[in-house]
Amino acid sequence: MKQIQIITLLVMGILISSCGEDYLDPSPVSNIGSNGFYKNEAEVEAAVINIYDGLQLAVQREWALTEMRSDNSKTRSSEGEWAQFENLDVKSTNSTVANYWAMFYNVIFRSNSVLENLDAAGPSATQFEGEAKFTRALSYFNLVRLFGDVPLIDKVITPTDTDYFDRDSTADVYALIVSDLQTAISNLDNSYKGRASKAAAQALLAKVYLTFGNNYGEAQSLCEDVMDSGFSLVGFHDVFYSERSSEIIFAVEYVNDIAADSQDFSLEFTQDGRVRGLNYATPELVQAFTDFGGSIRTQESIILDAVDSYRCGKFISNSTANQQNGNDWIVLRYADVLLMHVEAIMAGADVTTSSTAVASFKKVRDRAGLPTGSSITKEDLLNERRVELAFENHRLFDLIRFGVAESVLGTFATANGIVFTASDLLLPIPEREIGVSFGKLTQNPGY
Amino acid sequence: MILNYKNILKKGLGLISVFILVASIGSCEQFELPEAGSMADLTPPSANFSASLNGDYLTYKFDNLSTSATDYVWDYGDGNSSTDFNGANIYSDEGTFTVTLTASDKLGVSSTFSTNVTVVKPPKPVVLLPVILEAGFEDYNLPDGTGDGRDSWRTSLGEIMQITSSPVYEGSQAAKFPSDGTRIAYQELEVSVNADYVLTYYYTMKTSPAGSITVSVLGGALTNLANAASQTLASFKGTDQTAESTFVQVDLPFNSGNNTIVAIYARNESVECRLDSFSIREAD
Repeated sequence: MKQIQIITLLVMGILISSCGEDYLDPSPVSNIGSNGFYKNEAEVEAAVINIYDGLQLAVQREWALTEMRSDNSKTRSSEGEWAQFENLDVKSTNSTVANYWAMFYNVIFRSNSVLENLDAAGPSATQFEGEAKFTRALSYFNLVRLFGDVPLIDKVITPTDTDYFDRDSTADVYALIVSDLQTAISNLDNSYKGRASKAAAQALLAKVYLTFGNNYGEAQSLCEDVMDSGFSLVGFHDVFYSERSSEIIFAVEYVNDIAADSQDFSLEFTQDGRVRGLNYATPELVQAFTDFGGSIRTQESIILDAVDSYRCGKFISNSTANQQNGNDWIVLRYADVLLMHVEAIMAGADVTTSSTAVASFKKVRDRAGLPTGSSITKEDLLNERRVELAFENHRLFDLIRFGVAESVLGTFATANGIVFTASDLLLPIPEREIGVSFGKLTQNPGY
Repeated sequence: MILNYKNILKKGLGLISVFILVASIGSCEQFELPEAGSMADLTPPSANFSASLNGDYLTYKFDNLSTSATDYVWDYGDGNSSTDFNGANIYSDEGTFTVTLTASDKLGVSSTFSTNVTVVKPPKPVVLLPVILEAGFEDYNLPDGTGDGRDSWRTSLGEIMQITSSPVYEGSQAAKFPSDGTRIAYQELEVSVNADYVLTYYYTMKTSPAGSITVSVLGGALTNLANAASQTLASFKGTDQTAESTFVQVDLPFNSGNNTIVAIYARNESVECRLDSFSIREAD
């Protein structure tokens, strides 16, 4: 009997000791939670790739919030929620705006997730930090230009962190953008075009400084750094159809016929799109091409679709599945940097005759088969940017940065029977976001 | 009994009607019916606007960014005013004006916002024309009347060039670079950024052995000789050895780029050379 008791005790002892912590706290094998993930370099890199996955979604409707709110483009049918953009009458319930906000905050969340787990990234931590800070800065730069003051979230937050729900001043947001881009510049090299690079961060920071309007010297140096980094202009057709060419500095990449890695904006730019054609050229843009574009750019940029109706000629897809287009979305390219270089040298003046500015301007004009004079006015530069970069989401920001948005859009609105007020330059904060902010998010004026 | 009941009922009814009357009078004092269920205006008017130039330096426009307001009064600070939604004003002269927008709603609540507008004639962009000190390498030519003709051309990065009295292009002295190529002439100039200039100078050299004299304009100050090539904005390598006492004119155009300082940097190779009479002007 005593032996049996001892054996029982032993067995019990073994059983008790086997109930270790692992047994009480098993990690799930079928679902991965964020708290137990990020244990090694490969897993952090997966999170970095996930940021670009977020960008693939986020940029797909950006043209509606930028080009269609400028004098460049419109819907073909002028109907429904999409027509709010061209009518400069965007409602706070507009789903495209709400989705854009949510998708860019998703990119910010994913960037913050990488930044909080750099410890596990080993030797690649520097690279990953640079990439995550670049994508975070790009997101905030878009948000702050479109919405004004926005919530500044620089860490991973939970739904109860209501301290982060209210709007932070534009100056605070820009401070984070500048510091993020400076980190990206020092941490990155130029190995990628579909992922963040040093040149991409330099070009973006140059644009941030130009937007401030008081750091022209630094903007010029940054442009010159990019100009010394081996980029060059390619044939105008090849810009859009020879992907990752020497002109591309940063693009969001897509692949034909793969549902998870393709885009559908190429389709939406045609009559076969869901709403029978979006981002169509306004008559004003067509006129600008006639006046300033030159034949090379004009035939590549706008395509006659019906009588007096032109659609976007860039990003035309050759995919098999019509909703799974593989054309990359170009965020930064060399021609943009050359024209920013001119803008930096012009430094807010109305005209420049500086030979370095003229040389950069000439490179873009030469490619377009157009002559270059010995001086460049602000209007010349704005027109050049319009026809060089049409449909690439620059026009609205250019008008605002050049300080002519009110007058140009005011004239455009009057000519088209639209009502324009200065408050239209900022989008409404999505009603959906205000609704879940515990009263912390306030609406922009005019909405 | 029935009578009694009726009496009580009558009295009771009378009492009740009196009560109701009193109560209703009292209630009229307590509750203003039209206001029942109303609440304070949680979004009173908030005035705001942005000011920007709209044409020449005297013409301003003011974009209304007010919220929750219906009526607007603009005071442009120069005596002009307006009640339009957006403001616009043409000032008659330079000065600082306080522009005030009063935004009000139909409840009579108002809010004011003011901003100062400084109307000032934009200065014409002036290109800074630098002064090259001891440009002809003459003695006593510094602004204070001192100088040995080369004090302004010294650098700690190398040995200063020599002074010669013959041949010269003009005056009585010129710079001389012996054939070993070890001497340097270096001077920093203050310039406008991104401006186009032309540097003019004269050189000559002995007819043999074959050699050259290179004058470069560098962007920024030179702190290390190894960086001279990468900082070069423009340079000219003089190799005209036809006559040892005939000076050749060189016009070297350059753009200052993103620099407020440029440097003239001269060195020779293999043959004895002379430089004289530097000058700088804005390009046409």
